[in-house]
Amino acid sequence: MTTQVQEKLPEELQDALDKGLLKRLPITFQPVTRQQLREWDTLFPYERQSILRLLLYLASLNEQQLAELFREVVQLEEKMGVRGWQFSTEEQTILNASLLARSRYYQEWRKAVQKVFDAADQQAGSEKSADAGGNRLILLIMPQVLPLERAKVWERWQGVGRPVRLDLAMSRESGSPAEVLLGGSSTGEGGRLLEVVSRRPNASSADCWVLDAGSNLVDCALRQEPSGAGAPSATLLSHERLATLRQNFSREVNSMRKDLADADAVFDRLRKADVTAWCPPEVAQVPVIREFLRSLYLSGNGALIFSNSFVEWSASEAFRRARPAFVMAQFGVRSKPKPFTSVAVFDNPDEVNPLPAVDDLPGSALDAQVLALYVWLAASRYDEYRRNTACLCIAESLSEAYIVAPPEFALWREAEPVTLDRLRATLTHWLA
Amino acid sequence: MKPTGDSVSRVISGVPEATIDKSKREFLRAAMALLAGLNLPRTSLAGGGLHGTGGSGQRVVIVVFGGVRRAETFSPQGLVNIPHLSGDLLPQSLFYRDARNEGVTAHFNAISSMLTGNWQRVDDWGKLAPTTPTLFEQFRKGLGAAQSDTWVVASNKALTNLIGASSATDYGPMYGANVVFPKQLMVAAVANALRAGRSRNMADREKIEAELQSMLEAGNYEGLGWSVFDGAERLDPRVRATIEEAITSFVRSGGPTSGDELTFLVSREVMRKFSPRLLVVIFSDVEVAHFGSYAMHVGGIRTGDRLSYQMWQEIQANSEYKGKTTMVVMPEFGRDPDGSTTNGFFNHRGDTESTRGTWMMALGAAVEKPQIIERPIRHVDLCATLGDLLGCPPMDSQGVRLKELRG
Repeated sequence: MTTQVQEKLPEELQDALDKGLLKRLPITFQPVTRQQLREWDTLFPYERQSILRLLLYLASLNEQQLAELFREVVQLEEKMGVRGWQFSTEEQTILNASLLARSRYYQEWRKAVQKVFDAADQQAGSEKSADAGGNRLILLIMPQVLPLERAKVWERWQGVGRPVRLDLAMSRESGSPAEVLLGGSSTGEGGRLLEVVSRRPNASSADCWVLDAGSNLVDCALRQEPSGAGAPSATLLSHERLATLRQNFSREVNSMRKDLADADAVFDRLRKADVTAWCPPEVAQVPVIREFLRSLYLSGNGALIFSNSFVEWSASEAFRRARPAFVMAQFGVRSKPKPFTSVAVFDNPDEVNPLPAVDDLPGSALDAQVLALYVWLAASRYDEYRRNTACLCIAESLSEAYIVAPPEFALWREAEPVTLDRLRATLTHWLA
Repeated sequence: MKPTGDSVSRVISGVPEATIDKSKREFLRAAMALLAGLNLPRTSLAGGGLHGTGGSGQRVVIVVFGGVRRAETFSPQGLVNIPHLSGDLLPQSLFYRDARNEGVTAHFNAISSMLTGNWQRVDDWGKLAPTTPTLFEQFRKGLGAAQSDTWVVASNKALTNLIGASSATDYGPMYGANVVFPKQLMVAAVANALRAGRSRNMADREKIEAELQSMLEAGNYEGLGWSVFDGAERLDPRVRATIEEAITSFVRSGGPTSGDELTFLVSREVMRKFSPRLLVVIFSDVEVAHFGSYAMHVGGIRTGDRLSYQMWQEIQANSEYKGKTTMVVMPEFGRDPDGSTTNGFFNHRGDTESTRGTWMMALGAAVEKPQIIERPIRHVDLCATLGDLLGCPPMDSQGVRLKELRG
């Protein structure tokens, strides 16, 4: 870890590190911890709090308590023979992951590691409150173009919420319903959704995310930003606007030989590459978001390939790393695989095969239905989203929304079709 | 155990029939009727006989399916994805409802565990061979079978030719299987055309065929990960003709063009030309799940379902196989459950029932009568069982022989 970054760490943490805290950690804890400290500048506020809490908790333990806390992890490391591995203690590598995953003790090790985190969380329980930060909103959009079956569209949600009819007539003149909800009038009741969140005390762009399989929603958000204001007040990620970054990443990833060492070499190159020039302005000027994307693309899960996977995985990672108050995620359409070449290459099929791309509307609709649920499930894993979060999944083509929310959410029992104006006012009121 | 309505219901659902919708109840009734009609012992070994050198005279075809969850296959909502397995094949099969992968739920280790009968924990990118002898080696060494008698035809890019033989002392490649990765041929042809500025060829079926043929002519098939006939410098003319036939069918049929289609066509040609006594076919279209398209993942399951059925039809139509072949269909593992930290169906890393729990279907000669077995079995049980069917000497395996399959 470089001195330069250590200087930026909170004083109490720096003090613990100077007293040799890292050397007291088990080997398998070191890569992730060192990497996070090295990347402190590009961690979200929530992540910083989280690692700070863990390390200060560990630093507060005496030798005996620390040994007891890590006893199981250390025993398993010995059984696994980690000291004999080519295991990087500096950063997480594919080789590290592979060595751990094929150990017969891997699952036991995972459970033991989780116990340590649970203990730290329990200790910090009084410090953090699940209600802290006010109400939260997850707004999922399945756009008009996606064909959905009214009878089946919400089946996967297994009754956790209820459908509410929408009156989308107004949006025909003012853009898509999603754009109307996001853009709306700044003079209307409560103001715009993005503004409401950014007015909260200590709000940052990490509190508010717009994730777009296409670009119209992010374009709409960008139009709301005051000109010359610098970095946007929300995190704005459009799969379409990130095309250059994706293509450059794909090129490198596809150059990889089927070899763990080569994979780590390629990943190392991509971790160090200056990606600024490949990013649209709303990303280029925000280091923490640039690094979020780099990490997102390196972690796979289809984010480089399919726009809907990008939306889902971005949202999941945003919940895990930033705990945002507001996430708006719009799904989109992918093409059908092209004959023959899709056997081999998924990225940039137009470069490989000159046949015209054909939209796969039913397939995209099914993908979106599953992935919208996955976004909600990803949020549900965290305490912060269990009590005061409203999740609305809007099926534009059906003029219907599925709502999972606490009883106090105003539309929870709504029987009549809800106009977009009323919906927007309800959402801004909820967030305000 | 005699199949009953209850047991069929348990196979596909684990939930009371009353909770299944009307169309599924109708399906279940039809499936039960089929089972009832097929419940008599079969004279399954009629027409059997020795082929080549030693052994029982039985043949074995193993179809490995990639990672699929029970939820998308043998469950009420999954049946729609597997009409052939559940409708055409289940009624004549020995069906193990609970087949567990208790090892590393990643491709190379999962498949090599099935093929060795021991849980393997080697490099998952196929840089290390399994550490205990494979079924191919046991078969060839124990019975003096020729290399042309043992084949692996696989779509999965995570495999290498090391899947065909172990690093065990006294065994190894000299007793290994022929290994072919047809999808890699396609990948290489596309990459080659792209490098040479001929990507327009990829829109033209005739030119695609030419691109594929030129990859074979280039003589770099070892670069595709193949190991065919002791890795001779030139592809054996019969092997080459076999693959050319499959390519022609693949390109000119006008049918689907996924990697598994090509794998099936190459497997079929290998059966027709070489009649191997032990053939392992590994499908992997379902692995598109790693990229997050649920629709394409389900499409892969449907393709695997159809190709498994076509494989069974080929066995019935091929006199070298009919009546003396046992075909086993088995997923490598499941996939992670919805809502898991590992992103649900995308991956298969969890230590969960959804990830480890699969099923196994056996058809043909070794199936004395259709049955549904509730007792859990493990993936490593397959090797010892099939080795015994083939007449191999007893092997050192962590698995146990499945008594319901009879040689």
